[in-house]
Amino acid sequence: MQNHFNQELANLKKNIQQMAELVDVQLEFAMQAMQTGNLELCKFVRNRDREIDAYDNLIQAQCENIIALFQPVAGDLRFIMTSLMINSQLERCGDIAVNIVKRVQKTLQKRDLLTDSGIQKLGSLARSMARDAIEAFMNNNLELAGKVIARDDEVDQQCRNTFHWLIDKMQSDAQLVEPGAHLIVLSRQLERLADHATNIAEDVIFLIEARIVAHQKK
Amino acid sequence: MAKIAIEAKKFSFYYGSFKALSDINLKIDKNQVTALIGPSGCGKSTFLRSLNRTNEILPNTHIEGRIMLDGEDIYDRAVDVVDLRRRVGMVFQKSNPFPKSIFDNVAYGLRINGAGNKAMIEARVEQSLKDAALWDEVSDRLKDSALDLSGGQQQRLCIARALAVQPEVILMDEPASALDPIATQKIEELIFTLKERYTIVIVTHNMQQAARISDVTAFFYLGQLIEVDKTNKIFTAPNKKQTEEYITGRFG
Repeated sequence: MQNHFNQELANLKKNIQQMAELVDVQLEFAMQAMQTGNLELCKFVRNRDREIDAYDNLIQAQCENIIALFQPVAGDLRFIMTSLMINSQLERCGDIAVNIVKRVQKTLQKRDLLTDSGIQKLGSLARSMARDAIEAFMNNNLELAGKVIARDDEVDQQCRNTFHWLIDKMQSDAQLVEPGAHLIVLSRQLERLADHATNIAEDVIFLIEARIVAHQKK
Repeated sequence: MAKIAIEAKKFSFYYGSFKALSDINLKIDKNQVTALIGPSGCGKSTFLRSLNRTNEILPNTHIEGRIMLDGEDIYDRAVDVVDLRRRVGMVFQKSNPFPKSIFDNVAYGLRINGAGNKAMIEARVEQSLKDAALWDEVSDRLKDSALDLSGGQQQRLCIARALAVQPEVILMDEPASALDPIATQKIEELIFTLKERYTIVIVTHNMQQAARISDVTAFFYLGQLIEVDKTNKIFTAPNKKQTEEYITGRFG
């Protein structure tokens, strides 16, 4: 019975890992699309999101089954709860990859605006947070989770910088208002990506230390 | 702070030279359900039986330390064991009604404790059966044999029998392990309502049952009390690794 249970937990973890890898690749392609404006890449990312959605449903069903059939407690219960929470964070990260390429497609005529706005720096900050958060979950790495949370402020600052820079540009040239608005939405998506990474890192701390750290003032 | 009903102080119990319980320090709160959990042979049932001295029936046993009931040492020479067992009643794993009528089963303890008149006994039997959530099922057949009742009803009858003598503490040793899920649910609901007036200590191998019904859980292993805490703490984030391994089924 115990082996059977451990097998279920291992399966669940394997699926989350595969989903996380998929999300990571989607984010990587979205970042590349941002840098290059490659339309094929944009289409690829948009089409592939349904695979992430399928994992979302699969993992939710797996967690429900494990709770119903095995009634996990203590560390096992926290693992299931964390899996559910991280599952939904990952699914949203996948949606963000899609939203990024949509905005890239809408700003193809004004590539310079994107390149000069600092959005790519914002992107690489947010993406590295997401990557580390996932790694912290996979390897039960408390220290790495803590570092992810600490980096969120840097992203917020970069997001503000980008916002003000874009507003200035839009005020100086009416032609830039529409692409500028798309880029503000894009920067907001990247800021959300960092928030999801932070949430995942908080879930990892809950998993390992049974401590709820979300919504606490720094 | 909850009041303490029972307190074990450095309590050890020996079967011959075998030390079955070792230096147990445990406070049991009044009007709470305390669950004792642990693998077979861990000493939890020995501890339970030590709380009303039913272990002494066995030959060649002895104790060290003390168990205080309302501040008095129950192992003191001056203690009347019959009175102690009236104050600390017990319900066993296998229901054990006497081969008598339903009424006589519940009245039994009252009669041997020299209870007064017939009217008083009748009133107490009715109240006890009501408190044990059995009255509605047996009120029209109190003279029938207790052995004709179903397993779940027999167990509630044993609880009524324990309640009739107005105990302070009720000890339960796997009271629902031989019952089907519906009868088990009735016993669990009953325990939940009884704790308003009694202190309950229960031994169970059913981890979910301990989680559902108890306020405090104590984990025993190899004759030692490993950890005691609020039940929600034990089942979400126990302090000791051994406790976590036991409740998640990864023991040994």
